[in-house]
Amino acid sequence: MTLEPTRFSGGKKYVLDEELARIVNISMALEMPLLLKGEPGTGKTMLAHAIAETLHMPLIVLNVKSSMKLVDALYQYDTLTRLNDSRFGDSKRDVSNIEEYIRMGKIGQAFTADVRTVLLIDEIDKADTDFQDDMLDVLDQMEFDIIEIDKTIRAKHRPVIIITSNAKKDLSDPFLGRCNFHHIAFPDPKMMREIVKVHFPGIDVELAENAIAAFYRLRELDAIEKKPATRELLNWIRALNMDPDFKPFKLVKGEMPYMGILFKKSQDYNRAINVVSRKRLF
Amino acid sequence: MFIDFFYQLKDAGVPVSPTAFLTLHRALQMGLVNSLEDFYTASRSILIKSERYFDLFDQVFAHSFEGADLPQADAFQLDELARSLLESWLENPKVLAEALGLDESKVSRMTPEELIEYFKERLKEQTERHDGGSRWIGTGGTSPVGHSGYHPGGMRVGGMGRNRSAVKVAMDRRYRDYSLSGPLTQSMVGEALKRLRNLMPVGPKDRVNVDETIYQTMRNAGEIEIVFERSLKDRLKVILAIDNGGWSMDPYVEVVQTLFDYAKAQFKDIQTFFFHNTIYDVIWKDPSRYREPKRIEEFAAYDPETRLILVGDASMAPYELMATDGSIHIEERSTKPSIERLKFLADTFRHSVWLNPVPVGMWNYTPTIQRIARIFPMFELSIDGLEKAVRQLMAKGSG
Repeated sequence: MTLEPTRFSGGKKYVLDEELARIVNISMALEMPLLLKGEPGTGKTMLAHAIAETLHMPLIVLNVKSSMKLVDALYQYDTLTRLNDSRFGDSKRDVSNIEEYIRMGKIGQAFTADVRTVLLIDEIDKADTDFQDDMLDVLDQMEFDIIEIDKTIRAKHRPVIIITSNAKKDLSDPFLGRCNFHHIAFPDPKMMREIVKVHFPGIDVELAENAIAAFYRLRELDAIEKKPATRELLNWIRALNMDPDFKPFKLVKGEMPYMGILFKKSQDYNRAINVVSRKRLF
Repeated sequence: MFIDFFYQLKDAGVPVSPTAFLTLHRALQMGLVNSLEDFYTASRSILIKSERYFDLFDQVFAHSFEGADLPQADAFQLDELARSLLESWLENPKVLAEALGLDESKVSRMTPEELIEYFKERLKEQTERHDGGSRWIGTGGTSPVGHSGYHPGGMRVGGMGRNRSAVKVAMDRRYRDYSLSGPLTQSMVGEALKRLRNLMPVGPKDRVNVDETIYQTMRNAGEIEIVFERSLKDRLKVILAIDNGGWSMDPYVEVVQTLFDYAKAQFKDIQTFFFHNTIYDVIWKDPSRYREPKRIEEFAAYDPETRLILVGDASMAPYELMATDGSIHIEERSTKPSIERLKFLADTFRHSVWLNPVPVGMWNYTPTIQRIARIFPMFELSIDGLEKAVRQLMAKGSG
């Protein structure tokens, strides 16, 4: 049994619910990647940061892009530098030794690190299905080959792997089969109060309460393309907090400044302004 | 261990794999699971791979570990019916008691939970006879119905006595909103838009990107690599025809319009028309279907590449579809049966779909749905249906 000496129980700026803590601990013990889904702003990415922070492990982030190929995440063969070196020869590298021109990608870095790391694979849904399946193979075997120099890289320590996905669409079956899965629901107002408190320790209670209440009412507006999420709320509170002319009771009256922080699509913004100005919200 | 649980999940329609089940046992063996809460989280995160099934999982879990009732396909409708019965009961107990043939004084002693159960039982008996449901024993207060009202959230929570919180959590059914089935609502607009964004023309990759080619060739240390990119194509034209007659379509008209209104900038041109039940000689530009008729023949002059999207429940009397002069509106006399008009539209626009808010499982019961589905590719007006419809509209070749 390889239980972690320290179990994960939440970070400094991260409010963890008990259920998720259990899931993280089980996934670490089973040595399986944990796939997190949930709408943007539910703290999927933050979770990996919090795990790394509490367990004192280095965090390695692989931001997946749509054009990415698996090999980019594993290693890069820097042919351009090698060409340059062979032409001008002013570096100390040995041009005939290809290994000197191999650079580790993010997954490679996690494998070759001297300590156990947290590997965050962010927004996996951006890449195509082949990338996802191939990557899971690598993570399953905990090794990959560098073809150019015919060398196998094995993981020194099995990293703690957190994978996030924004898509409501399901990932492929073989992929899902190898992960544990959790869906982070949007925090309820009670949880949100905790989150706000963690981020703004000395905040005026009235301001926080009113802002959170207004925020949840705004989220309930119909026909909004991109609903405001936690990040938007925190930024909004920050803005309200900094405005010397702002008084919290104004929110109750339906005066909402800085709506542009909450709604970032013009149609959403117009609709929200429209509803608020007509005081239909209250 | 827990093999019954595994098969119950499977029977309920949750895709669970034996491998995942073995992983769960590994977790059990490693001593990671020490309470029912642990088992709930562990089994859910290991066995269930999509939030869509969380709700179903919760129900099966509650059934397996507390003996709560398993979901029945009609459970939700029964709930809604029972709830509306309760509401009318609260308004006027006498009328309802008479309608159902009950003794009013006896019923008024029941708790709201008992009453709802009673209503549900009665409703079930009317459709088909079967047992079950009786285990949701009311434990709520004893106040008589007319005075206290009821708590809607409490309807689902039944038969908990032993205070096992994991089961309570499971019974809460927190994940009900995450299943993607069911017709579109305003709150799903954002998600639906993402599907609609794929309604973009895609040209062949037949143009050389010189800059990228030079860069990639450099990267290859001089080995030439030619990079192609897609040639630009003009944006799509869309015709949206909505059935806005009759109350059955009311909730969807606005959703569909909001949806396409948001996506307007994405299209070169979008025109909205209205009809009632089906299309005869004309369709209308105004929602009241009165002022601005447009003859169907005029569509022949439209760009055949225009995407035609019809939205309607396609449910009507067969003669409305098949007969000349089938319209239920007396002032609308047609020269051809509606089905001919629909075929004409389908021939004119090779990329066309019909979106139907009626759940796909019910389509077989309505002959006109089947008829129309043979003319237009028909999809459910849901997130999944929309995704499939977009795929159909973008497919190469005839639609």
